[in-house]
Amino acid sequence: MSDKIEAVKKLFTSKSSRVETNKGDTYYQELFAKCEARLNEMRAQTPANRLDFSELLEENGIDRREFMKWASATTAMLMLPPMFTPLVADAAVMMNRAPVIWLELQDCAGNSEALLRADGPKIDEIVLDIISLEYHETLQAAAGFQAEKQLDEAMETFKGKYLLFVEGSIPMGMNGQYGTIGAAGETFHDHLMRCSENAAAVIAVGACATFGGIPAASPNPTGAVGVMNLVKNKPVINIPACPANPANMVGVILHYLLTGQVPELDSLLRPKFAFGYRIHDNCERRAHFDAGEYVEEWGDKGAQNNFCLYKMGCKGPMTFNNCSIVRYNEAVNWPIGVGRGCIGCSEPDFWDKYAYERPMADAKIKAPTGGVEKSVDEFGLGMLTAAGIGIAIHAAASTVAGKRDNSGESHE
Amino acid sequence: MKQGYKQVKRMTPAMRIIHWLNAFSMIGAIITGLYIGHPYYQTLIADGAVDKYVMAWNRYGHFMIAIIFDVTSVVIAYLYFFSRFEKPYKKLIPNGKNVTEFFAVLVNLLTLNRKKGFDSTHSDSFNTVYFTIFHLLLIWMLLTGLQMYVQGLESGLSSIGSWWPWLLHVSTDWTLYVTGGTNMDVRIAHHMSMWFIICWVVFHIYYQVWRTIFWKEADIAIVIGGSKFVKDDTLKSV
Repeated sequence: MSDKIEAVKKLFTSKSSRVETNKGDTYYQELFAKCEARLNEMRAQTPANRLDFSELLEENGIDRREFMKWASATTAMLMLPPMFTPLVADAAVMMNRAPVIWLELQDCAGNSEALLRADGPKIDEIVLDIISLEYHETLQAAAGFQAEKQLDEAMETFKGKYLLFVEGSIPMGMNGQYGTIGAAGETFHDHLMRCSENAAAVIAVGACATFGGIPAASPNPTGAVGVMNLVKNKPVINIPACPANPANMVGVILHYLLTGQVPELDSLLRPKFAFGYRIHDNCERRAHFDAGEYVEEWGDKGAQNNFCLYKMGCKGPMTFNNCSIVRYNEAVNWPIGVGRGCIGCSEPDFWDKYAYERPMADAKIKAPTGGVEKSVDEFGLGMLTAAGIGIAIHAAASTVAGKRDNSGESHE
Repeated sequence: MKQGYKQVKRMTPAMRIIHWLNAFSMIGAIITGLYIGHPYYQTLIADGAVDKYVMAWNRYGHFMIAIIFDVTSVVIAYLYFFSRFEKPYKKLIPNGKNVTEFFAVLVNLLTLNRKKGFDSTHSDSFNTVYFTIFHLLLIWMLLTGLQMYVQGLESGLSSIGSWWPWLLHVSTDWTLYVTGGTNMDVRIAHHMSMWFIICWVVFHIYYQVWRTIFWKEADIAIVIGGSKFVKDDTLKSV
């Protein structure tokens, strides 16, 4: 309850979800000077690893021109004016000076996959390659005590400076015993709290780390929760979606490198530059929605003609994310583009409330008591039937009673 | 006029206009709303291109009706307190008189009109409470509806200025938290509330017809002609 009260308080003291795309010349001049100073300062630091960004680009056959195109697109995504493009390019090159510790908790490693890319690395992925990944449970070569030592060293060396990326939810049931890590059997909860203590900021990546995701889906056997439920004294940035888009991860890291600040967030702590858009409003099939042209079943004529997937349960109208703009896998495609609906993976409780592949009116929804699953319409019709039966009984009884009354009446 | 009965005015023309405006708006809102929630008829692929705007027209209709509801809600809220005819709020105050009347009317309904221990000349406490529930449901529909609406104005801009989305956020964002925290919960609540309203309407119609038949005071005429007929006690005593 106190959480709810806090949330409501926050709601009424925060600014509206409006995305301010132009903050005025003075603001940007000031920010530019600040960013430049910050980048110069970083240039003086020794890189945390020996990976060279320019070399990596060359190895992957990406020329300077392509890189600058990417830099200007990323500048636009971060809602900065074009004059910031050289700074963004500089910041990308200096990504190896951003110490990152990556925790993997209760999850499927899908976000690590997204970060690693399975095929043809593009600039976003290369940028993520050269970040100074100090500790990553899945990717590092070290194991056991050696790995733990590495973590301790990284936290000591970069105290107060490292970005803590968290992937996966935190099981709170059974005193957190559902998930432990290391020889000492440290629970995920303790692990997260220890690592977040000296972090500059905590970045929750993916649906699980942000809102609990699939592990937290009903009946949530492990009592899974997201990072923002636990880490209270640090800036927390949520990058939800299943998996989180690497473009948005890069955006957040770049923004941090460049400005030293957390980007503007919405009420769910998601960066507005990425989650300030509703999928529906930038969807390539929106015209079919307005036209009332829907796919009625998989593979029908509508599906063959790219009709709207609303009746197949697309949740684009309720989901805020930029995948209808930036798409996935370096803009190759995205869920609606391949002909299946959005499942709302960047919204809280998406597994229970969004991902049922039919319109909300037809979805079986749990009663507030947690019991019977009925669709809203089934429940409503049941209620209406009950009302009808009650009325019928009352009407019939009244008719009988009314007649008796009449026969008893002597006056008039 | 029936011998020994007198005519009592119960609804002003303005009240009756609002009543029917609400009734027809509701039918329209349900027809269009069900389509928006789950498009239940298909656009024919052979339709001319100019006709292919089915969902958009349904939404247009739904939102226009919502605006009518908005305006009548404001008017009704005003009349509840400042009507020169009858101020319904007076019947809502839980004082002894109102509580007694409320239960007397309920007893009358439950005993199938065998007991009628209250004065049916004026609008009674029971009905006023029942109507108030409806107005609250309607306001709930408006707030949840506007919350869904403002989700489409994520740019923070609108044709009438940025104050409008701002106002919608300030006045309706709380519905998100009350219903369960997600955009989908607001939709579920909005859809579910439609069923509550339909049930409300079914009983309302039944009850008014029932009153007309069993009370024999022509209650159904109130909403059309504005008045009903009650036994004139003054005549009897003469």
